[in-house]
Amino acid sequence: MKLFWFEIFKAFSRWRTYISFTVIALIVILTEVVMKLSAGEIVYRMLKPFQRDFLISGNILNAWFVTAFIMNSLHIHIPFLITLVAGDMVSSEATSGTIRFLLIRPPSRGRIITAKYLTALFYTGGLVLFFAGVCVIFGLPLFGSGDLIIHHYGKFDIAFIPESEIPLRILLAFIAAIWSMTVVASIAFLFSTLAENSIGPIIGTMAVVIVFLVLGNLPLDFFRTLKPYLFTTYMNLWQQFLSIPIPWPEIGRSAIILGLHNVSLFLIAFFVFRRKDIKS
Amino acid sequence: MEVSFRKEVVLQTKGLSKKFGKRWAVRNLNISIHRGDVFSFLGPNGAGKSTTIRMILTLLMPSSGSIEIFGEDLHKNRNAVLSRVGGIVEKPDFYLYLSAYKNLEILGSMTRNLRSHEIMEVLDLVGLTSRASEKVKTFSHGMKQRLGIAQALLTKPELIILDEPTAGLDPQGMKEVRNLIKELSVESGRTIFLSTHLLSEVEQVATRMAVINRGELIAQGSVSELLDREPTDYTLQVSPYDLALEVVRKLPWVKVLSSERGQMEVHVEGGRASDLNRFLMTNDIEVASFYPHRTLEDFFLKITKGKTDL
Repeated sequence: MKLFWFEIFKAFSRWRTYISFTVIALIVILTEVVMKLSAGEIVYRMLKPFQRDFLISGNILNAWFVTAFIMNSLHIHIPFLITLVAGDMVSSEATSGTIRFLLIRPPSRGRIITAKYLTALFYTGGLVLFFAGVCVIFGLPLFGSGDLIIHHYGKFDIAFIPESEIPLRILLAFIAAIWSMTVVASIAFLFSTLAENSIGPIIGTMAVVIVFLVLGNLPLDFFRTLKPYLFTTYMNLWQQFLSIPIPWPEIGRSAIILGLHNVSLFLIAFFVFRRKDIKS
Repeated sequence: MEVSFRKEVVLQTKGLSKKFGKRWAVRNLNISIHRGDVFSFLGPNGAGKSTTIRMILTLLMPSSGSIEIFGEDLHKNRNAVLSRVGGIVEKPDFYLYLSAYKNLEILGSMTRNLRSHEIMEVLDLVGLTSRASEKVKTFSHGMKQRLGIAQALLTKPELIILDEPTAGLDPQGMKEVRNLIKELSVESGRTIFLSTHLLSEVEQVATRMAVINRGELIAQGSVSELLDREPTDYTLQVSPYDLALEVVRKLPWVKVLSSERGQMEVHVEGGRASDLNRFLMTNDIEVASFYPHRTLEDFFLKITKGKTDL
């Protein structure tokens, strides 16, 4: 536990850690301000496909809708911001040489790598929760509350979630988002144990995420068969919590697959690090 | 009582080897360090000193062989053994964004719970008390080196392993570190494993030494035994000078090379340097200095019979 707190202290003593929080705050606030300024156009576009079939009234462009809208960009910038810290956890110690001082101390390498991994997960969770907090805290005064209307892209369906259910569903969606993002953190962390500098893990992780996202979305049969094996397929797990009804079996399956990715990636990092020769 | 105390082996390597690819960095190394020794590990750059130290401090896994510290196998009892060991490996690198105090607190607390006054004590010992709260990024190389020594001493280890601790220090800093090493050994009875490529450093602080070249052990023993076994030139400052010159000229194993008022240069047969010193003193000659003309290059060429990478 002491090692974990030391790692947290070190991580949050570096300015690099706060870049992510600043970037997220800027993106969310900017998006919300722009959405507020373009409210009329957004509502028009939202309702256009359904205007002939539905009569929709009330505060449609509310904080919950804006939050769900911004969450759709989760797989774009959040993974990059996570890799900035998770990809740096071990490799930065190798670059700076501090790893020598750490590893000549009594705690085993296993305990040290576990503490670092937990810190990477803690940071990931903190970053996504911060994202959620900024979305809601700035969104509610700006857009107010209301029922959530969700249109799933590519499908002709529309979901109405009553206002009373939304806070819990949004909370669960963000928890699911954290779970998805821990896989990105795990990949970056594994690369970090293999590398002697931080650039490699950051670029490597982003390359994996981008390539998997592209492969999973290519409209060819071969790539469709690959899709179940790509972790990025399950990264939109959070969206399931905004469906009616909530598809619990699908959520459970996705969560288990993502969890297995985390366990496997951590175990590889653990064994690599335990046997690693420190030459730097 | 003292004899049995000094005979306790604190660190022992048996057939220790490390191979990187096809190259042996260290091969079949057998060294023994006794309690209270200032053991100097001497060798040119790339001889395998740091690789050996890294294996002893578990940064590198040996390809073969074993390491025993305090009579226990290092890899079977790593945590217990390393809680009694402190060290620096090559240059001291710290968390630049943290203060000197915080760096020591984090690193030291990984071994045991530390109190604030213990951290301040070691900072005081290396002369960094006034900089305790400053970030390490503002420190000079010499200050980082001293902070490195502080972290090695922080948990009051019985065995201190210092890899080139005077590297990058100015002459005053080097002198301070050497004095500190002597103090630690003499006053607190710590065992010190000191890696260096400076022969003068060995002569000034070490009691025993091992010489390594191309990853292989060349010699091991007491410093005087190893350094004085080859014929060496010395500069002597003696008084009364005329008497000294007269008696030295009578010694068949000493050849006077040059002499000026108060100072003479002599060539002494291997293993007789201490005899000469004793001889002068028994003849009521005051020896103000007795300085060997030895360089690492000469020493290595002699000890390796020319088979060295220097």
